[in-house]
Amino acid sequence: MFKKILISIIVFYFLVLIQTSFLVHFTIFDAVPNIVLILVVVWNLLEKRKNHLGIVNALIGGFFLDIFSNRFIGFYVLILVGLAIFIKLIFKRYVRIPFINKI
Amino acid sequence: MVVLIILFVCLMNFFQKEIRGFFYWFSAPIQKVLWRAGDSTSDFFQGIVRVKTLKQELDELKLENQELLSQVVGLKNLKKENETLRQALGLGLQEDFKLVLVEIISKDISQDFILIDKGAKDGIAEDMPVITQQRVLIGKISEVYEGFSKVMLISHKESSFDAKIQKEEKDISGVVRGQGNFRILFDLIPREENLSQGDIVVTSVLGGIFPEGLLVGRIKQIKKNDVEPFQQAEIEAFFNISQIETLFIILGF
Repeated sequence: MFKKILISIIVFYFLVLIQTSFLVHFTIFDAVPNIVLILVVVWNLLEKRKNHLGIVNALIGGFFLDIFSNRFIGFYVLILVGLAIFIKLIFKRYVRIPFINKI
Repeated sequence: MVVLIILFVCLMNFFQKEIRGFFYWFSAPIQKVLWRAGDSTSDFFQGIVRVKTLKQELDELKLENQELLSQVVGLKNLKKENETLRQALGLGLQEDFKLVLVEIISKDISQDFILIDKGAKDGIAEDMPVITQQRVLIGKISEVYEGFSKVMLISHKESSFDAKIQKEEKDISGVVRGQGNFRILFDLIPREENLSQGDIVVTSVLGGIFPEGLLVGRIKQIKKNDVEPFQQAEIEAFFNISQIETLFIILGF
């Protein structure tokens, strides 16, 4: 688990750097794709309900987004963790997506 | 778990300047490389995508260039006349701005803020104006760290300042308001004033925030309503943040 968290920290750190310094040059309708948000949503959708790495990933991704944004620290943490919990506890309980393989 | 997260968030916000400063210092070299790579890659792809419209744009620019050249000749004569009059009246020439060159490191993903690579140790303070080499106004310093600063772009929702359109007969004054996502509005223009598309908006000395005569943008669309006492106009900004690498901060004016 510790090794997985360490890998997540490194991956999300570089993703946020890429998003704030590289992807800002490639806007779609004046918006920059939020790859951290996409990764957190996809991870939580694919992860088994009993695993919690998706929520930890949301915490890490949110923290780095907060550091490199102008909002108070915790803004993106709350949004991403809330989203991850929603996907895990509510969405996956009532919605079945048969073609998604569990990882 | 929830209590722990709330405690963690509170603690982080208490030391947010130090934490952010450390991360900016640690990440600046990587971000500079990424910003340059993104800039050159997007230039390359834009060249391919826009190859059809480039010919038309070139023709338009040539025409505009000719018009500007004729204006430059006229202005040179005026400058000469101005210098002669100043000498005759014993007035010194107006000093130029004291500038500091800075590089952009990153842009906030959801708000109109950018991060630059100079901070308090380079003599930068809050509210200092930020411009491009062509004297185009970008924004003002909103937060200063030891070696970094955050710039609030003029398109940010909280940004507003006095500006004017210079006309031959009379200047048209108004307020420039940021709308977010690089959109700018020229507001509070009296209804009887005649605006036209393409008019150039420059900063006015009225507000005291920015020096006079910095370029803001070009009028794109005029919104006039018979009921409202004021008219509004959308401004097309002269800057494209993703195409800029270096900026200048005005230390004093």
